[in-house]
Amino acid sequence: MSAREVKDTFACFGSSCSVLVTGDASAASAAEAVARARHTLLGWHGSFSRFEPDSELSRLNRDPRTTVPVSLPMALFADAVRGAGELSGGLVDGTLVGEIEAAGYRADLGAATDLGAALARAPQRTPAGAGGAARWREIGVDFDGATVTRPLGVMLDSGGLAKGLFADILAASLSGHDAFAVSCAGDLAIGGRAGVTRAIRVENPFDGAVLHTFDARAGAAATSGIGRRSWREETGAPCHHLLDPRTGRPAFTGIVQATALAPSALLAEIRAKAAILSGPAAAPRWLPDGGVLVFDDGSHEVVAAPPRVTLGELAAFARPFLGGGARARLRAPPPPSQHRPRSRGRRWRSS
Amino acid sequence: MDPTPNSPRASSPKRPADKLDARALARARRDAMLRRARRIRRSVAAIAAALFAAAFLAIYVQLASGNDPALSSTSTAASTIVASNTTSSSSTAAAKKTAAKRAAETLAAEEPAAETSSSGSGETSQSATPVTTSQS
Repeated sequence: MSAREVKDTFACFGSSCSVLVTGDASAASAAEAVARARHTLLGWHGSFSRFEPDSELSRLNRDPRTTVPVSLPMALFADAVRGAGELSGGLVDGTLVGEIEAAGYRADLGAATDLGAALARAPQRTPAGAGGAARWREIGVDFDGATVTRPLGVMLDSGGLAKGLFADILAASLSGHDAFAVSCAGDLAIGGRAGVTRAIRVENPFDGAVLHTFDARAGAAATSGIGRRSWREETGAPCHHLLDPRTGRPAFTGIVQATALAPSALLAEIRAKAAILSGPAAAPRWLPDGGVLVFDDGSHEVVAAPPRVTLGELAAFARPFLGGGARARLRAPPPPSQHRPRSRGRRWRSS
Repeated sequence: MDPTPNSPRASSPKRPADKLDARALARARRDAMLRRARRIRRSVAAIAAALFAAAFLAIYVQLASGNDPALSSTSTAASTIVASNTTSSSSTAAAKKTAAKRAAETLAAEEPAAETSSSGSGETSQSATPVTTSQS
């Protein structure tokens, strides 16, 4: 690959975003694509912030109408909230706005609290469970009319789901380039026409070192955890943004961070959140494409993806058994000794 | 006029034994035709069943291994939304896919931001730079 890679890293979503593009596409050069992606992400940051009263998300959340016209990305996000609830059996609930604000997450947080100290004061570890309300079930989306329908009081929290969705939308728009990588505050989508292998590093939540590296040509990865967006209540009790839908309180399950690989960033985000919320025993089941789990004691487990079989590999495997033999039998003429003339009459006479 | 002993009519009448042979021959021919038809029918059925089983197995293995072509990277956004909503009807899924595609196309058609495109703020390098996933 001779084309140069253009990359840009900037502050966004209360964290850092990066866009890396190699090679020009018919629609735009790599530099133009990077600039456009940056512009778009910063725009979405403004539209999807829960802390900006004039953002589209805030206006949607306080709109008195049951059915509200929205932008296309907002419609996709609302649908993603519902889809996340369905896929995770209610574990990943993007409607817990009242609960997260009650817990203290009402504005941009400052520096995160020390993870080790927070864990020392955390309550007993328990797997999270689905909430009884399951308000995400009541969200309806009309893509043709670009409207979101929900009962009054059901509010959406952008959280990690929106970042995964943004990475996917950007990935789709960059697919014409040789190679690209989009990092929306840690939610990654990579790909490109050239099929370049790229290293995906998983960061240690305790010291920032690299825990593990995956190599991939296309796909996505997302990491969710309780270390970054964390704070202390007035009582000193540790809090973070991953809530147990059953209790509406921050979940301490024994896992501090989960990284999931998936075909898309949104799916990876849902899997990572579901893994961390379900606890150490059930978490590996949420990582069918692989991932990394980091536990309270600092240890980690790399969950390997099962071996993949492509249609090409299966065909190559089956060729000696099916393709070659069957084809030969169908095409090859019979041996001379068994040869029979095509004419029925003559055949009859010969027998 | 009496027929002469050498006339064709005198020699043509078949004997009963010949008639029996002809019937047996006809029956044998018919049975053979039926057997051949049955053999061809069985071959066609066996080949069709084998092809169906092979195709079914191939698709089953492909999907069971988590390598769903519908979730390929070229249509990531669209397929993700479709895949994420497991109870959607096909029409809803199609609308969702269209919406995701439209969002990506809208994005691709947008003019790049002037402040970044002209300034060339992005860095360049020659290899696929590693990327890091961390808590957001």
